[in-house]
Amino acid sequence: MKISNNTIYRMIKANLKKTLFVCLLALLSFALPIKKHITVWMIGDSTMCEYDSSRFPLTGWGMPFAQYFDSSVTIKNVAKGGRSTRTFIAEDRWQKVVENLKEGDYVFIQFGHNDEAKNYPDRYTTPDDYRKNLIKFITESRDKKAIPVLITPVSRRKFDANGNAIETHEVYSKIVREVAAQMDVHLVDLDAMSLKLLQQFGEKNSALLFMQLEPGENPNYPSGVHDNTHFNAYGARHVAELVLQAINDLHLEVSDRIFKKS
Amino acid sequence: MPLSILVLIMSFAIAPNKKITVYLIGDSTMADKEVTAYPETGWGMPFHYFFDSTVVVDNRAKNGRSTRTFIEEGRWKPVVENLKEGDYVLIQFGHNDEVPTKKSYTTPEQFTINLEKFVSESRSKNAIPVLITPVARRKFDSSGKIEETHAVYTQLVKDVAAKYKVPLIDLDQKSQELVQQFGPEASKYLYNYLSPGENPHYPAGRKDDTHFSELGARKMAEIVLYEIKSLNLGLANHIRVVPVKEKK
Repeated sequence: MKISNNTIYRMIKANLKKTLFVCLLALLSFALPIKKHITVWMIGDSTMCEYDSSRFPLTGWGMPFAQYFDSSVTIKNVAKGGRSTRTFIAEDRWQKVVENLKEGDYVFIQFGHNDEAKNYPDRYTTPDDYRKNLIKFITESRDKKAIPVLITPVSRRKFDANGNAIETHEVYSKIVREVAAQMDVHLVDLDAMSLKLLQQFGEKNSALLFMQLEPGENPNYPSGVHDNTHFNAYGARHVAELVLQAINDLHLEVSDRIFKKS
Repeated sequence: MPLSILVLIMSFAIAPNKKITVYLIGDSTMADKEVTAYPETGWGMPFHYFFDSTVVVDNRAKNGRSTRTFIEEGRWKPVVENLKEGDYVLIQFGHNDEVPTKKSYTTPEQFTINLEKFVSESRSKNAIPVLITPVARRKFDSSGKIEETHAVYTQLVKDVAAKYKVPLIDLDQKSQELVQQFGPEASKYLYNYLSPGENPHYPAGRKDDTHFSELGARKMAEIVLYEIKSLNLGLANHIRVVPVKEKK
């Protein structure tokens, strides 16, 4: 078989390309250490959960939150409207999370709105049980070498006569803070942060963050809606920004995986 | 016999599969955004969520495009090719046509010719063009009154609409009214205003008086939807109908 100079040249050239490519890959692997893929599990209630577009502009803060991470993170938002820590566990929703937890995963825990609702016996959870349930989430996460993050319940929109935003989760937020301190768990004090946000917007303009629609304004809510608990897309994003800032301030490893524009 | 019955049943189940496509052609104020641009939001994004299952919203709007560059880049041609009878074409340009220093600049004469092209070619496919004046920028004078920023090009849109009897949505006017209602300070909530460190996608912050936040985009989409109803366009019959719920 006769091999022309030309063919040899082409073979060398092809191999050179391959060699260069391998070298480049090796260099890149030093420059960009390949991050282990992790999952951030979000457990909580209607203020955090995902919604179908038929309910737009209703938006849980977990929805925009998921838009800010690089491809090494999967956000699994399994929060569910109307759930307290008690019913989330009773419906085996927590069990399904535990079964899938892997080392290095995160569990973001935000409950309270439904736990504290005494007038809804189907979801109400006593302070004692609330504390126990939070501890259960933490210990079972840690058993699987996952990292729990406790989040105080995001504030409702409530102002006093002087235009000051009022604390709306006094008892249950305090329990979250206590459990975080007691068990040395990362704490995002979203209640305090969102209360400050509401104050910045002020009584009138803070309505722009919530599900407030006039009758006829939006086809998904023909008779309008005036809701001071649930967020619209704009409010949910502001809440997500607060959580992103908090995990950055806590120097959680996952905050290195927040997509940053250079 | 059973087969024919099956076919008959299936023909009822499948037959009315003639969906209306609503094409959105325009610029960045209308466009779908890359995730990394969030929370900047084009009004075409929330506009997706307002219709029942008989409608598909196909948002072809693109950042930075004028009528001229939209055509030159071959973005209009595939729309025309795909247009079916009864489809809609919502047309909103101006922001990039009207700025002489931009590469996308389009002279007033050419802008008119391009709008006419969109209208006549839509109609040649028995589709329904809707002209939309360019949505307002956030610009106030010292007394807190909003300023018109598209005077010339908005008028051109209106002229084409009048001349060819095209349904017109004067979004420039209506959005100015909304922005005025919010006032110089609160209107920042409608636009992409971010303080430094607030949002990972804009580490240095942002003060954008042209592009919208989620709130502004949704409000603009609601205006367009309201005008579609006011114009009695057939499309209004395909706006999602949700049973009115009793309040708790």
